[in-house]
Amino acid sequence: MIEIKDVSKLFKTKSGDVQAVDNVSIQVDKGEIFGVIGYSGAGKSTLIRLLNGLETVSSGDIRIGDDYINALSGRALRQKRQKVSMIFQHFNLLWSRTVEQNISFPLEIAGVNRRERKKRVKELIDLVGLTGREKAYPSQLSGGQKQRVGIARALSNEPEVLLCDEATSALDPETTDEVLDLLLDIREKLGLTIVLITHEMYVIRKICDRAAVMENGRVVEIGEIKQLFRNPQSSVTKRFVKDDIDDEETNVSFEALREQFPNAELVKLSFVGSKSKTPIVSKIIKKYDVDMNIIAGSIKHTNKESFGHLHVTIDTSPSVLEAITKDLAAENVKLEVETHG
Amino acid sequence: MDKLREDFLEMISFENVQWDRVWEETVATLYMTGYATLFTFILGLIVGIILFLSGRSDGRFIRVIYLVTAFLVNLFRAVPFIILIILLIPFTSEIMGTIMGVKGALPALILSSAPFYARLVEIALKEIDKGVIEAAQSMGANIWHIIFKVLIPESLPALISGITVTAIMLVGATAIAGVIGAGGLGTLAYMVGHTRGQPDVTLVATIAILIIVFIIQIVGDLTSKAVDKR
Repeated sequence: MIEIKDVSKLFKTKSGDVQAVDNVSIQVDKGEIFGVIGYSGAGKSTLIRLLNGLETVSSGDIRIGDDYINALSGRALRQKRQKVSMIFQHFNLLWSRTVEQNISFPLEIAGVNRRERKKRVKELIDLVGLTGREKAYPSQLSGGQKQRVGIARALSNEPEVLLCDEATSALDPETTDEVLDLLLDIREKLGLTIVLITHEMYVIRKICDRAAVMENGRVVEIGEIKQLFRNPQSSVTKRFVKDDIDDEETNVSFEALREQFPNAELVKLSFVGSKSKTPIVSKIIKKYDVDMNIIAGSIKHTNKESFGHLHVTIDTSPSVLEAITKDLAAENVKLEVETHG
Repeated sequence: MDKLREDFLEMISFENVQWDRVWEETVATLYMTGYATLFTFILGLIVGIILFLSGRSDGRFIRVIYLVTAFLVNLFRAVPFIILIILLIPFTSEIMGTIMGVKGALPALILSSAPFYARLVEIALKEIDKGVIEAAQSMGANIWHIIFKVLIPESLPALISGITVTAIMLVGATAIAGVIGAGGLGTLAYMVGHTRGQPDVTLVATIAILIIVFIIQIVGDLTSKAVDKR
């Protein structure tokens, strides 16, 4: 659906040249939610603006559907933009227009007639759950509601691709979840392809199928989410994953634990993309008739799998522990012994 | 001291005031201000939008447009109004057919206030959130969509307060033009009130101008507030 090939973007400024995007190649499939994560200044903002021609490439090709964006200009580019729409961190609604007039705006640009506009706007308001707020002005809405208007507006011309520019970065965690769920929902209903940029691993983990990690204009790592979590290669990715999984870092004091459980093994269970929804821990306890004590842990869920760690003590013999290790490995859970009792 | 008291009493006696003449000149002032404001609004808006749009681009040709426009705007703003009237006499008589009366005053009024308003328009447009313009571009808006659906509506409160300030300035300018024969309340105050020694006429003309200014200010403030949904 989207093919970014050897794309670079060089900004010439008075204080010198800035290589915002450096030889980036990415392919995004139809219906996929693709994330680009990076710290600020990594070039992700520029990259997403290259996709709808708000910035022009210095070199390389960008194909969306059948069109090369870098080959389009003027009218053809403007028409293509109706099918590659965008939502923004600060929503960028027109304060002078009501909710329904804002959603109607792209339709007016596309030259859709009044009756059709009205019908479409009503459908979209229902889709994003803003029924009853049609006549409100943006200043009367909460952040989450504003982003819903932004999404409805972006969907009004039935785009093939939705670009999300830090769409949840200005929202609180709860509202972020609402907006992300809405994005999953519309992907499901409308089958559109979504490219989002963010600096929050949480967003990537929650809704993306695949992601690219950017640093200094380059893509340093790209792959499925489970792969990024399971086996992060670059130091940036490791940092993002670590920040996400260990955000309530489990500082287990091994000394104190050993005193408390003198005969137990202290082990760490690493959930690196477990698909199973089965209660693994209780299964092990029942199967081997062992005592297991959860010390600390943090498990995060993506839209498909679980990631994280559990620190537990197991009071058992080495041979049983080996059997347990095998069983867990079958469920994609890695068992590591941290201390011997 | 007695002389001053006598003058003051004469001033508030209103014995020299011909009220139908006052009304006539008030209407003339309103005409001049009204037409001048209308054309200033249109011309200033166009020039202001050109300044704003060309100032944003870094293309060489567009840069030249910006510099030429900015130069003309600064030039006309720098020339004092009273001198501009004199400089424009040949131009005025050519296109208006006269240099006297309401018609004769309009070219100078418009050409002095439109550049001022153009700068106010430019400032108003610069206050628009860049993200909103970018959003419109991302939807495939062309330049006309951006001007009529984004720039003007999103800066409307500032455009209205700007034209209010400009209109009030124009009321003052019509009075100056009145001194050299444009008609209106300025002519009344100077030609009748001053030269014939009838201070009561001057006072009445002043009050009439004040009332016009207050009305413009109030209407402008209310309108600007009414369209502001931020």
